[in-house]
Amino acid sequence: MTGKPDIREILKCVRCGTCRSVCPVFRELGWESTSARGRLMIAGHLLDGGLPDEAALASLRSCTTCGICKEICPAEINSPQLIEGARRAISGRGLLSEAQLKLKTRIQATGNSLGEAQDRLAWMTEKEIPDRAKAVYFAGCLNSYRYPQVTARTLSIIKPLGVTVLKNERCCGSPLLRTGIAAETIDHNLEQIRATGAETVITGCAGCYTTLKNDYPPEFEVLSLSEFLEEHISDLKLKSLDITVTYHDPCHMGRHNRIFDPPRRVIEAICNLEEMKWSREEARCCGGGGGVRSGYPDLSLRMARRRLEDLPSNVETIVTTCPLCMKNLNDAGGMAIDLIDLVAQALPEHASGSGSSPGH
Amino acid sequence: MMNLIDDLRRLVGDRATDSSSERLCYSRDASQVRGLPDYVVRPLNAIEVSEIVRLAGRLGVPVTPRGAGTGLAGGAVPIKGGILLDLSGMDRMLELDLDDLQVQIEPGVIPERLNWALKEHGFFFPPDPGSSAMCTIGGMIANNASGMRCVKYGTTRDHVLDLEVVMADGRVIHTGSRMLKSSAGYDLTRLMVGSEGTLGIITAARLRITPLPRARRLIAASFPTAEAGARAVIEAFSAGIVPSACEILDRTTLMVLSKCNPNLALPMDGDLILFEVDGSEQSTAEEAEQIERACSAAISVRIATGKEEMEEIWAARRLVGAAVSRLDPNLSRVYLGEDVGVPISQIPTLIARVERIAEEAGIPAMKYGHIGDGNLHAALFIDITDEDRWGALERAADRIHLAALDLGGTVSAEHGIGLARARYMERQWGEGLDLMRSIKRAIDPQGILNPGKLGL
Repeated sequence: MTGKPDIREILKCVRCGTCRSVCPVFRELGWESTSARGRLMIAGHLLDGGLPDEAALASLRSCTTCGICKEICPAEINSPQLIEGARRAISGRGLLSEAQLKLKTRIQATGNSLGEAQDRLAWMTEKEIPDRAKAVYFAGCLNSYRYPQVTARTLSIIKPLGVTVLKNERCCGSPLLRTGIAAETIDHNLEQIRATGAETVITGCAGCYTTLKNDYPPEFEVLSLSEFLEEHISDLKLKSLDITVTYHDPCHMGRHNRIFDPPRRVIEAICNLEEMKWSREEARCCGGGGGVRSGYPDLSLRMARRRLEDLPSNVETIVTTCPLCMKNLNDAGGMAIDLIDLVAQALPEHASGSGSSPGH
Repeated sequence: MMNLIDDLRRLVGDRATDSSSERLCYSRDASQVRGLPDYVVRPLNAIEVSEIVRLAGRLGVPVTPRGAGTGLAGGAVPIKGGILLDLSGMDRMLELDLDDLQVQIEPGVIPERLNWALKEHGFFFPPDPGSSAMCTIGGMIANNASGMRCVKYGTTRDHVLDLEVVMADGRVIHTGSRMLKSSAGYDLTRLMVGSEGTLGIITAARLRITPLPRARRLIAASFPTAEAGARAVIEAFSAGIVPSACEILDRTTLMVLSKCNPNLALPMDGDLILFEVDGSEQSTAEEAEQIERACSAAISVRIATGKEEMEEIWAARRLVGAAVSRLDPNLSRVYLGEDVGVPISQIPTLIARVERIAEEAGIPAMKYGHIGDGNLHAALFIDITDEDRWGALERAADRIHLAALDLGGTVSAEHGIGLARARYMERQWGEGLDLMRSIKRAIDPQGILNPGKLGL
């Protein structure tokens, strides 16, 4: 995952413009430099030794790496990967945006992307957790600090299935890697995971998932929470609820890692599922990923609002499997909950401390 | 010129830029033509376009209009610099008038989106270029684009009733009306269609819409030779059938497709003709039978009626463009010599000549296209990092263009001339080109609108 992007891969682009028809950032901004085709032209120019101006930096940094362009590209070009490569190249030249610098400093100082100084495990209601276990629940920064009830619910539900947590978890590295900066917390987390002897790492965050799965050495199995829940669905003895929800595919769960069915099967074991206008491979990005939420908050919100237009009529509750998507969709006025919130509602008796309704 | 960017910003605010990266992104379309604009402007209405054109006229600065930049001939590439007008943001559907069978739209509307909107009312806008999901209707009009279904429904020009056009002096005119027919004076609409932004800038279009057919049938017939296939097409036409699509895929194309997808449900034993008929259940059944009879020389004939079955075959047809790079990642398709047209009866001769030309150049070529209107897409593939191969490719493309003209054809049947094919205009038109030059001078005496294109 290091090194410069391959010029040959960029030359495969015949500039047919198919990506223009789906790129959610281009849809909002309209400049050619904000479509995948434009970004590849800029990346190619930089590889040729060209100097990046403000528009070039904005072009490369405004991509959420949602990957819908890759899905549809007739030449099968992996634009998100090339764009991350170009981001590494510009970061390598010392060109970091204010948002990137802030993020890097925060993670170095606090071990989390939010710059929170308090205990990362403050959400935990369990008094004791085992040092060693078959599986580890990797909570992630956002869930640990912003959605403590999600992490608490998750652990209370999966702990009996042989799961522990890391005593000293740090940022998985995703926010830095996605914007082209090396992540030093990876080695720290690796040691922690090894110490538990776990063969499986479970996470309920799309950013953590793709990073653990694709940027960490393949020493352990990585499961998304939805896959783990699906595997244990009969153990959970869920009751059915007479409601209809929809599901938003986080880009880094769906398109990037092809986890489309497990969350849907869990939802359908509980209640009715009605799909959004664009779903699965074609799901539109919420606007939160790839550093866009921190770098371009207005753009990010506009994309989230656009995504809310895809809701089926008469369905309000959006279930998702990524705290960043959940936060962005809710900030845009949506009613998004984590999959675990729905599961918690369907348990024979509510898990302790989880409250009575799915909240956010 | 120093403060032109300030003047442009006064007109459109931050929708004007002179940033070098943004200019780079607008320096190309899907062809090999390059040209860096000095400014990129994204106007939102005819008034802004008019003001920009007046400003450019005062300073003698070129103005090049552009839709989605999906063109294959450099038509929207600003080869003389100046102002690049990105009209793709003018994408509102202005009026849907079902009673009078028409819509009015802005030029940036994407045909696929228009068709989504029309579908729920039982109508469609028939011209269907391969780029329907991303090109703009403004660009389609400027190039008289077409597609598979045009053999029955006609090309873009047959669907344009009226255009709002900003002229070189900033005047805003209308070229037609709401009328489905009119015999009052010169046909300015048809003059503008296909003019590639050299005569005016289209800021709105009134389009005729067509009721969606209730049924479709697809007939896939495999022939021992392309010539036998072309004969069958002519015979079907003579029997009074107007297919809604009539495509040819030569055996090289089929071989490549089958390597990409071994489960492909297409006969592989010869050159393939795909006929589609649309209409009612009864009419399509009858016509499919007639076509089957016209295909007496075929090795095999298969009639598809199921939606999925047909969709699978069309999906394979759409895969053609990108197929070879999937087969060999080092080869890329280069769009040169890709859009020639000849009378239908000459298609087999053209295919044979393209085969020989490609063989002599040592370049793999797939031949496919809209045989029903004589439009052949020759797809040439090279390793684009190899300089020598570029030379060979350019020579082969040149010979393909000359072969088409030799057979009484055209160097471009639906993609346009732009710069890529400008040098053939003299040969194709003779004195007719002089008249085009006179028209251009009369309408745009300063020559500020998309200069350097069409061989004018």
